[in-house]
Amino acid sequence: MSLSLSVLSEDLLARVYGFLHPPCRKTWRLVSREFHRVDSLSRTSIKILRVEFLPLLLLKYPNLSSLDLSVCPKLDDDVVLRLPSNGAVSIKSLNLSRATSLRARGLETLARLCRGLERVDVSHCWGFGDREAAAISVAAGLREVRLDKCLSLSDVGLARIVLGCNNLKKISLKWCMEISDLGIDLLCKKCKNLRSLDVSYLKITNDSMRSIALLPRLEVLDMVNCPLVDDDGLEYLENGCPLLQEIDVTRCERVSLSGVVSIVRGHPDLQHLKASHCVSEVSLSFLQNIKALKHLKTLWIDGARVSDSSLLTLSSSCRSLTDIGVSKCEGVTDIGMTGLARNCLNLKTLNLACCGFVTDAAICAVTQSCRNLETLKLESCHMITEKGLESIGCYSKYLQELDLTDCYGVNDRGLEYVSKCSNLLSLKLGLCTNISDKGMFHIGSKCSKLLELDLYRCSGLGDDGLAAISRGCKSLNRLIISYCGELTDTGVEQIRQLENLTHLELRGLKNITGAGLAAAACGCKKLDYLDLKKCENIDDSGFWALAYFARNLRQINLCYCSVSDTALCMLMSNLSRVQDVDLVQLNRLSVEGSEFALRACCNRLKKLKLFAPLRFLLSSELLEMLHARGCRIRWD
Amino acid sequence: METEDDLCQNNWGNSSSSKLREPVCFTSQHKWEDASILDYEMGMEEEPALQVFDHMKASSGQEHNNNNNGGQVNVDFLQGVRAQAWDPRTMLSNLSFMEEKIHELQDLVHLIVGGGRQDQQQQQHITTDLTSIIIQLISTAGSLLPSVKHNMSTAPGSALFPYPREANNLASQTLNNNSNNNLAQDFDLPKPTIVQERESHVVEEHEMKDEDDVEEGENLPPGSYEILQLEKEEILAPHTHFCTICGKGFKRDANLRMHMRGHGDEYKTPAALAKPNKEAVPGSEPTLIKRYSCPFPGCKRNKDHKKFQPLKTILCVKNHYKRTHCDKSFTCSRCHTKKFSVIADLKTHEKHCGKNKWLCSCGTTFSRKDKLFGHITLFQGHTPAIPLEESKPSAQRGSSACENNTGMVGFNLGSANQESPQPGFMDGKMSFEESFSPLCFDTCNFGGFHEFPRPMFDDSESSFQMLISSACGFSPRNGGGGSVSNTSL
Repeated sequence: MSLSLSVLSEDLLARVYGFLHPPCRKTWRLVSREFHRVDSLSRTSIKILRVEFLPLLLLKYPNLSSLDLSVCPKLDDDVVLRLPSNGAVSIKSLNLSRATSLRARGLETLARLCRGLERVDVSHCWGFGDREAAAISVAAGLREVRLDKCLSLSDVGLARIVLGCNNLKKISLKWCMEISDLGIDLLCKKCKNLRSLDVSYLKITNDSMRSIALLPRLEVLDMVNCPLVDDDGLEYLENGCPLLQEIDVTRCERVSLSGVVSIVRGHPDLQHLKASHCVSEVSLSFLQNIKALKHLKTLWIDGARVSDSSLLTLSSSCRSLTDIGVSKCEGVTDIGMTGLARNCLNLKTLNLACCGFVTDAAICAVTQSCRNLETLKLESCHMITEKGLESIGCYSKYLQELDLTDCYGVNDRGLEYVSKCSNLLSLKLGLCTNISDKGMFHIGSKCSKLLELDLYRCSGLGDDGLAAISRGCKSLNRLIISYCGELTDTGVEQIRQLENLTHLELRGLKNITGAGLAAAACGCKKLDYLDLKKCENIDDSGFWALAYFARNLRQINLCYCSVSDTALCMLMSNLSRVQDVDLVQLNRLSVEGSEFALRACCNRLKKLKLFAPLRFLLSSELLEMLHARGCRIRWD
Repeated sequence: METEDDLCQNNWGNSSSSKLREPVCFTSQHKWEDASILDYEMGMEEEPALQVFDHMKASSGQEHNNNNNGGQVNVDFLQGVRAQAWDPRTMLSNLSFMEEKIHELQDLVHLIVGGGRQDQQQQQHITTDLTSIIIQLISTAGSLLPSVKHNMSTAPGSALFPYPREANNLASQTLNNNSNNNLAQDFDLPKPTIVQERESHVVEEHEMKDEDDVEEGENLPPGSYEILQLEKEEILAPHTHFCTICGKGFKRDANLRMHMRGHGDEYKTPAALAKPNKEAVPGSEPTLIKRYSCPFPGCKRNKDHKKFQPLKTILCVKNHYKRTHCDKSFTCSRCHTKKFSVIADLKTHEKHCGKNKWLCSCGTTFSRKDKLFGHITLFQGHTPAIPLEESKPSAQRGSSACENNTGMVGFNLGSANQESPQPGFMDGKMSFEESFSPLCFDTCNFGGFHEFPRPMFDDSESSFQMLISSACGFSPRNGGGGSVSNTSL
């Protein structure tokens, strides 16, 4: 076989490699030296889990263009300063999200190393301030910057980025609470090429809206929950931003219908309008104006009062709608939904959460008319029964996401119908108390592509059901079985078959012991998030196993667990990627044990939840050390 | 004569007035006195420098004469005093001189008492004489004291009036020392009362407001107002109001009137203390608005300028002239860079000096963030500078602290590992050893930690090996998940 393959030239191999599904690339690498080389040269994107390997990997993959360090613990200035000077030349996209201990010096080095840097993501770096922003601004070619939740970033830092990289096309300032009108004004004056801007949650006023309206090329504007902007501010947008295609004014307290109408009036080409929880009623004036939006694809008016007739008018004028959000809307009934379904045949996403009057009739109409439906959110639609689910199973062959959280009407028969949607990727059945193992068998046997399954508080779920899921849904990433009180070790041990599992919530499972956890940990090598809160019966043997096997664990919640000093010490020192730990109400833990455990992992922790009295019992050096490494501690 | 009076009134009528008679005359006395003081200082007769008084002297001969006579005597006397040290003989001659003067004074007062209705002109002359005689008397009486003489030659413009001047110097000196020169420093009554002080503050505030108003610029049509122009010396003179009795100078009329109370009960009447403007010639025809011109040629505030913009009050003239055409002699004591010519400006600056925390890369500082951002928007290439405090990244300190701590406690944490990533790091065994063997609890100084089962750490490797093999028999080596997750583009 190797002989026949050696006939293929390198570029042909590279083309073949290009068609590979990402998980298969690991196998490809192992075929031969040649294949390995092709892999090294062709690989353009990498996500690094352990920073120790960063210099080596950078040398090994010379053509990398995207480097993701967001899940790397222990990433700090020293690591970056030791990188070879020619290591990251080709990198254009850098993800430094949550790199809390990376400071100005390291960032500047990194920005200089990556000469062609175009995209950088420093979201959730809470230590990221003005100095760090100045360091980032060294990369003059930057096009996209994500600064979400950089809490210490002020207008001065933003000004540095704006002035240093004036070719910015996309910037996100979500939750940068220090940013004010001055910063936004400067941004809008200096970066005329801006296409996408996110100012969600900022305390900006109408002055900022006036500046934003002057951006000639803006296409996407997100301004979720800007509490100080009102209708007058949105009026500036009516005559500004000629290329605007997408706007999100969700939860802007002071914005009312007239503000939204003024946007609609000024932008007949608008494609996405998200105005959830700020429009109180869909009035005639709104309907008349929205008629003009022939290209409207997305319309979110969650929380508004909608009548059947208005839904009809709306859907008859905007026939290209693909995404409708009417969750928590008063007045949504079967008649309205039926009319809407008849008009919007291209509908792909429908959010009907908390529309209590919607019954099976509406679901039938929607599924029969809109055959391309991909996402259906029916949370708390209590009137939906197996009849509705039957039509979903019959007609929605492309359905990928189905949210049935808190729907009493869902039963095993219903699940049987749902399981016919074989393309389903995400299924949420939280609080569905009427389902049992029988239903799970159907899901497990048919929905093999499932990536996410939420069974929160499904009290009818037993070990057999879980076993069926574990057998059938091999690609499952996220599994939530919190408070499924019937589950025991027998069921949980089956989880080990899910090799791709990264997110596992076992909260409140009183019946499982160390053996169950050990088995699960042993099988799920990729486990990244584990919630063991109130699993009181897990003994140290389970934690020891966890310490040994769950090498990729990043977040762990051990509240109310009976973990001993030694076990915690082992966990914390062995889990070399652990970054986020919740340690509240641990009865068997002594102060010294906490001290040692935390000392063992203090250089990689980013978030920590501790029992409040420990604040005065832990040594001050430890706390200082944690703080210096950019770890945030919540005292509970 | 009438024209002269008019001029006088125009010039000074609004700044001060006499208590006894029309404002016109009183103010002219001031000026006259001022001029004569200048003369004495120079030790000879000279034309007074002030233009206004040139006019006056030229036209009123009698007044001129009086002036000269008074001046002559004083000069002689002054020279006598200067030439010789104190001796009884001089004292005697002084006394006889005073006697003579007192007689003169008596005659004059009689004249006033018996004169009945006199015309304005006469009245003015009498008062002028009266004043000059009183001044001579006081000064001569003052020179009788032996201790005074060394002060005579100092204190320019005040040699004749040693006492008050001395007090004034003293006051200003102390004020200077305290660097607390508040504008009310012309309080020089020997014992200023609280009432006075309060009043002066009020006056000051009022005047400041006037000045501010001017900045806004008013739009009076040319010709609707009267332009007055003071000379440079006049503008820069420290005092504009002088006591007619002792000659002491004041910046403000109100302060002068307060001072005057000390000279007798007649100055304590409400009429004498009242604001002069209020009782200005009732029933006289409404005068034109007065505006001022800066004497500096070419200045926009100069009346010959094409786009002349008049100044509203005398205070404006003073401040404008100092700010625009004088050296800036007051330096800020905090930053040592900013200089001012008007002391009030220095005060204002010092209040805010050092508070400019908004810094641009060009070195300019701003007190407000929006000003900095306006500046940055305007100038290409300028960026906001980040202050250098806390320039030490806390991570640096942290890592060193970390090393110290680990050294002290005696276990070796991951920081050591990251120095040299070993190839076998992924190996479960290796990692176990690394993470646990350095946890030497023997050396650690945590009390109460001995409840840890020590043997566990001694042979942890074997015991764990047992546990793991029994648990699931999984070799950690092949399932480590790799260090790289497979992410496509």
